[in-house]
Amino acid sequence: MVPDTTATSRRNFLKRAGGATVATASITSLAGCGGGGDETETAAEDDTGDDTETEAEGGEDGGGDTTRLRYGRGAHSATLDPQNTTSGEVAKVTNQAYEGLISFQVGEAALTESLATDWSLEGDSVTLTLREGVTFHDGSDFTADDFVATYRRFVDDEYEYHFEDASAYGPFTLGNWIDSVEATSDYELSITLNQTYAPFLRNLAMFVSVVISRDAIEGDTDLDQEMVGTGPFELETLDDANNRIQLTTYDDYWGESPNIDEVLFLTRGQNSTRAQALVEEELDIIDGLDPDSMQIIEGSDTAENRTATGINIGYMAFNLSRVEAFRDRRVRRAISYAIDTQAIVENIYSGIATEADQPIPPALFGHNDDISPYEYDPEQAQSLLDEAGYGDGFSFTLTTFQNPRGYNPAPLPTAQTIRSNLSDVGIEVSIDDRQFSDYLTYTSQGRHDATLAGWYTDNADPDNFCYVLLHPQTEVPDGQDWVSWDTEGFNTSNNAAWANSEFMTRVEDAQTTTDQEERAQLYSEAAQIAHDEAPWVFIDYADEVRGVSNRVSNYTVAAIGGPYLGAVDVE
Amino acid sequence: MVSNRFVLKRLLLLIPVLFGVATVVFAILHLSPGDPALTIAGERASQEFVNEVRSNLGLDDPLWQQYVRFLGDVATLDLGQSYQVNRGTPVSTILADRLPITIELALLGELAGLLFGLPLGILSAVKQDTWADHLTRVGALSGISVPIYWSGPLLILLFAQFLGLLPTSGRIGSEFFIEPVTGFILVDTLLAGNMAAFQSAVVHLLLPVVVLGIYQMALLSRMMRSSMVEVIRQDYMRTARAKGQGSKITVMKHGLRNAFIPVITVIGIQFGSLLGGAVLTETVFEINGIGTLLVDAINRSDYPVVQGTVLVFAVLYTLVNLVVDITYSVFDPRIEQ
Repeated sequence: MVPDTTATSRRNFLKRAGGATVATASITSLAGCGGGGDETETAAEDDTGDDTETEAEGGEDGGGDTTRLRYGRGAHSATLDPQNTTSGEVAKVTNQAYEGLISFQVGEAALTESLATDWSLEGDSVTLTLREGVTFHDGSDFTADDFVATYRRFVDDEYEYHFEDASAYGPFTLGNWIDSVEATSDYELSITLNQTYAPFLRNLAMFVSVVISRDAIEGDTDLDQEMVGTGPFELETLDDANNRIQLTTYDDYWGESPNIDEVLFLTRGQNSTRAQALVEEELDIIDGLDPDSMQIIEGSDTAENRTATGINIGYMAFNLSRVEAFRDRRVRRAISYAIDTQAIVENIYSGIATEADQPIPPALFGHNDDISPYEYDPEQAQSLLDEAGYGDGFSFTLTTFQNPRGYNPAPLPTAQTIRSNLSDVGIEVSIDDRQFSDYLTYTSQGRHDATLAGWYTDNADPDNFCYVLLHPQTEVPDGQDWVSWDTEGFNTSNNAAWANSEFMTRVEDAQTTTDQEERAQLYSEAAQIAHDEAPWVFIDYADEVRGVSNRVSNYTVAAIGGPYLGAVDVE
Repeated sequence: MVSNRFVLKRLLLLIPVLFGVATVVFAILHLSPGDPALTIAGERASQEFVNEVRSNLGLDDPLWQQYVRFLGDVATLDLGQSYQVNRGTPVSTILADRLPITIELALLGELAGLLFGLPLGILSAVKQDTWADHLTRVGALSGISVPIYWSGPLLILLFAQFLGLLPTSGRIGSEFFIEPVTGFILVDTLLAGNMAAFQSAVVHLLLPVVVLGIYQMALLSRMMRSSMVEVIRQDYMRTARAKGQGSKITVMKHGLRNAFIPVITVIGIQFGSLLGGAVLTETVFEINGIGTLLVDAINRSDYPVVQGTVLVFAVLYTLVNLVVDITYSVFDPRIEQ
């Protein structure tokens, strides 16, 4: 009855026992692949002992002394192939089994060595020295050829084993920037870029750039269902029927062995159910929390909420291509003054976010500390509108997605607050809420007047916000600070259609400058321009929130990369 | 008895039914907003990339071509490949994995309904207008009136969260990994000889089955009662009792058999709605059957999965009703098809 694709999972089935629950699909998950910077202290000290017998309903044949970490999330992985997805949900699992050449420091945006021990970026040339003595889960040795095969599978359609269904991250992360990749020896890689591109090393640390075994790529391994990486955990069971994934420690791991024997990724679609399961000790760590589910955890004595500053932004973009009034910066600034973002962040987002003031989140270099959020000032707003000739008001439609996203835990109340704030200064807003996939289609076609939007970082580089979200990436007519949506090659992620040449020059220069301080300065100036010109109403930077059981210690909440489960201890 | 010709005719009727269903689903999906290519490609994709995905999926062809292609595929029993689940997994494979989960749930729900609904209905009819009858009728009315999305969370709140007796969701404890043979978790755990896992599955399925069963039970007991009340008044029942036959035997032997016919119709129709109810039950209890599959697929614009799932629902519904029709003649040989 259960044909081929489950073959692997069947092959892998271990009959184990223990206790707790499991669940299924839903759509609650937060997209993107992680967010911002800080760490929360490794709470090794919270030994709130309690009698922690979880096994509500399980049996015990085979559980033995296995130390097991149960990680609860909102949706199951649609695939195990890091090159077949843009989903952060998939990354949580693949990050345990695969490693990149470079990685993010645990809980930090800074880079650290992983499969490469040394690297340099000079002009358009990148050289990397690789780690020796590393083996893949299939037993093969890791060499430079594995990275070459991984890269070619992802973006090179002349390669025999090129992956036809490779995700958009292929060109976005590697393909658009790389001219050639060469293994100069078993443990030396040389990458030539098509221009000096400073953020490139960070792209190598992204979850999509992890190294897959060449034997697996060129053999008959089904990488949707199996993971052949070098990471500390290997796949034991993929159980799609019950939405769970079992990983066990990889014995020949080159680095420090994990403290736990097993990780279970379990799915609970509803946030409140997931929080409840944590409180009842059916789960050990959970993510995707909203203010309501955080309250469930806060009131318990078995678990706690931990937060870290996220690397993301939530905003409202004015579509300059569509609405003439928005092409006047006074109007944009007026609206920025008229919207009470502080109230949105404090009351609607219940304090799990901070007010935003520029496109670069605070955890990143280049964030300009001298900028502060637009104050809520309807009078100032009114006088700017008068000055711009819109004193009698005008009307526009605000498009929004319906379901919460990490950077916007309550899209509809946000839109309603904006509507009510703007009606005070004579601007009439009608709200157009759409289901997410419809919202994406609609806004990517530029049909919105203004839209709520947001972004999770991919690589923790300011370029990932400034170039991706605010640069038109196409020709701009002289003397104009916006582009028409139907301009050939226009970057539709720039949903404001904003094209400020001063800003663009700085962002372009920062791409080709490798000196970190100079880059920071350029971004800091770019951030000031974006703040002053206000192509967006900057709303919030959301925190990364996790619910963590008191039985868990040494867990660091990371906004990018991870989750880092290797160091975690479970009582 | 049922003739082969009858069965064949009914099976052939499936073809126009499926054609209609396929057309409606296709139309609804393609008329509704949302672009599968963009959903697959994601926010990081350039316009060219999205266009490439769209053309690879054939979504840039004229609608009538897509429709003809889709009908052709369905006619050859090819339900296509998912846009989202491991991108490219055949829909038939996904359905084969998920369908047993839903069927198991629906069967258990039906069983629970029968087990409690029928005796209550009979009791209510026999003890007409006593307190037992009133109680059953009030219970049945409430059972029918309470929607699953309300009773489900309520029971979870009571049994899982306050009393801590039952798990909140899923269908087996997280540490039991049982090799799927039939796809029915109760059967598979038994086949594996793992009693602890079986126990865990029973405990997990209890609440969802109760929730599904409540409605079944309520409806069946009402049907059974009214049907039985009518039968009890028949002349042959009085004759049987007049001949000195005990009232229990009369009811069970003569009454039940005749009262059963309308009830069977309801059971059949209800099994279909049980499958529909599974969409809600599975969502509430986070069980991974075709109900949640359908909801996810709709949210992700996964056209092939939505189309495949709805077609399978249609086939199941039709088949169940065929079985019901056949069952009539078993209970009442006078009914010939």
